[in-house]
Amino acid sequence: MANLITRRETIAAAGAVAAAATGGAAQAQIATQPATAPNLPIERGATLRMLRPVRFVQPDEDVWRANCQRFAQANGIEVRVDFVGWEDITQQTAVTANTGAGPDIIVGFDAGPHLFAEKIHDLTDVATYLGQKYGGWRPLANAYGRRGDRWISLPFGASGGPAIWRTSTLREAGFESVPDDHAGFLRLCQALKRINKPAGFALGNAVGDGNAFANWLVWSFGGSLTDEQGAVSINSPQTVAALNYLRELYQTFVPGTLAWGDISNNRAYAAGECHLTQNGVSLYFSMLNDPALRHIAEDTQMTPMPKGTLNAVPNAGLTLNAMVFRHSRFPNAAKALLTFLMETEQYDPWLQANIGYWSQPLNAYAASATWTKDPKISVFRDTMNNPFWNGYKGPIVEGSVAATADYVMVQMCAAVASGQATPQAAAAEAERRAQRYFRRR
Amino acid sequence: MTDAAAAPQSNTATAAPEMLSWDSKSRRVVMLYVPLACFLLILLFPFYWMTVTAFKPNAELYDYATHNPFWITSPTLDHIRHLLFNTSYPHWLWTTMLVSIAATFLSLLSSTLAAYAIQRLRFRGSQYVGLAIYLAYLVPPSILFIPLATMVVRLGLFDTPFALILTYPTFLVPFCTWLLIGYFKSIPYELEECALIDGASRLQILRQITLPLAIPGLISAGIFSFTLSWNEFIYALAFIQSSENKTVPVAILTELVTGDVYQWGALMAGSLLGSLPVAIFYSFFVDYYVSSLTGAVKE
Repeated sequence: MANLITRRETIAAAGAVAAAATGGAAQAQIATQPATAPNLPIERGATLRMLRPVRFVQPDEDVWRANCQRFAQANGIEVRVDFVGWEDITQQTAVTANTGAGPDIIVGFDAGPHLFAEKIHDLTDVATYLGQKYGGWRPLANAYGRRGDRWISLPFGASGGPAIWRTSTLREAGFESVPDDHAGFLRLCQALKRINKPAGFALGNAVGDGNAFANWLVWSFGGSLTDEQGAVSINSPQTVAALNYLRELYQTFVPGTLAWGDISNNRAYAAGECHLTQNGVSLYFSMLNDPALRHIAEDTQMTPMPKGTLNAVPNAGLTLNAMVFRHSRFPNAAKALLTFLMETEQYDPWLQANIGYWSQPLNAYAASATWTKDPKISVFRDTMNNPFWNGYKGPIVEGSVAATADYVMVQMCAAVASGQATPQAAAAEAERRAQRYFRRR
Repeated sequence: MTDAAAAPQSNTATAAPEMLSWDSKSRRVVMLYVPLACFLLILLFPFYWMTVTAFKPNAELYDYATHNPFWITSPTLDHIRHLLFNTSYPHWLWTTMLVSIAATFLSLLSSTLAAYAIQRLRFRGSQYVGLAIYLAYLVPPSILFIPLATMVVRLGLFDTPFALILTYPTFLVPFCTWLLIGYFKSIPYELEECALIDGASRLQILRQITLPLAIPGLISAGIFSFTLSWNEFIYALAFIQSSENKTVPVAILTELVTGDVYQWGALMAGSLLGSLPVAIFYSFFVDYYVSSLTGAVKE
């Protein structure tokens, strides 16, 4: 994975941008509003280093690099981009923040920037400009990007976790789609179990899928980890109702879900062992690109997880969230680069290159051609429109990040599903664990 | 020793071992061969799994119902081709080799001097120095990596292979020192006393008497150091951010795990190829390694 961009790579990457921008569907018209860009005179002789999570698909990296290189060429500076594994970005960010050395910009995940709020630059000017120009920030971007009144990071996109299911199997079970209510969803899973083509949802310590399922379960019954003021509220009648529901639902799952990691449902679904699960678009595209598994992809459909008792889809997308460190000697250049990457000419080709994996944080990009190329992926278009985040529904603090990282909600669900604890005992234990983190504030 | 004298020895070596009265074939099977087979199975199964996965097409990898998970029906070289030609794997391998060899050399040099001083010079407080070195080994890398990162940054070594070459000895030196202290202890002190009487200096004794006798111990410490350096993850993850400077254990995860899509075939091929240098290294020196553990020099 080369990172200092050479001339040859620039030409190749520029080709990638052009291909992404013009290939397939035509570039849609992204509506903009008049807005005044912040004055960010780029420091003389600036060199920027950026670290971000590894690509989902190759064009993601190609277009990203090409965009950075265009900025570098336009401003006569050097920009270097490095990619690291998703699981490793947190450690790299911690080292960078604590040593005051390393990349100027890190694109982390979710509420990560809130852990280092004192060590990163205020991005309010940039975020205000982009928000005005592109129709405003979506709710999830507001939740993860802001700390109080100021913006500390710029969300770049989020990956949602809808239900992914086999069309033929649901028909065989007597359903046309995934019901939107709890009772209907349970009936569907019971029917799938009866025809020996069961559902399966991760109950192991899976960063993406485990948290997504546990959050969906609790939120869809009206429960939450914290209340609006940030006090721990997990031990509630709503949570107990959700866990009672899980006890019934779990009986319909394919065996082994208690030990499932993020990749387990991908394998089980691709192998035909599981016919309904919850995942990002990666599963669909990995099957679509594999000739041996293409028939499953063609038989696959994706729809939001049931809303349950709510009016919105209870899902908090995995969010790319960029921050500029105070140790950067070129903060203007760093902020200008982030602004540049969010402008239509750069952002829309990148969004399209990701074929739905990342969903836009700015409202105007909902008109992107990304969402009309393949009707199946349109479900991801509004991932960042959901008013849920990790640690919902209190303000995002270090405790929200820590409780999520410690799988408090996931392990509460697993304890009930496995029969190790009653719903009441599991909720009480989750409350005890969560309070340890939120007491530290 | 003449050929005639050697011949009967050879015959004795190839003859079946004599059974004692309490010994029997069935007892041997139960007490020796079955546990040995279990042991081998547990040890070798991960390598077998790596090998099988590295040559399996994706369709076989995912579908256990149709395909036997323990066997390959249509072997493919796609994963290895992808690893070698679509990624920078050869470069990562080179970086890992460089870091491991340099860190091992530095650690062995320091440890030999430290162990010899502690064991033979017996200066005041030497035993406490030995204890302190041992205690340093007990501090886990997950605690040390942040303060070490600060030092690495201040020295201007961040994101270079030198960051690893100079930090790996923090856990290699204590380990090797303790291993060598034990080995030096097994070398008779009388040999050194003879050399002292003949007028040899301490450095001459170390170079011409102790070190040649301690070669199995040095090789053993070298093997451990090389293996630990080769497989090290947390420092390599924390101190290196450029893709081109990464070591194999970190780089294959970055390159071959894209989100929640794991390229299992290429990952296993990378692990398999990455473990070969260590295996080759072991195979060359296994005799020395065994003799160091059993104590080669007898009084």
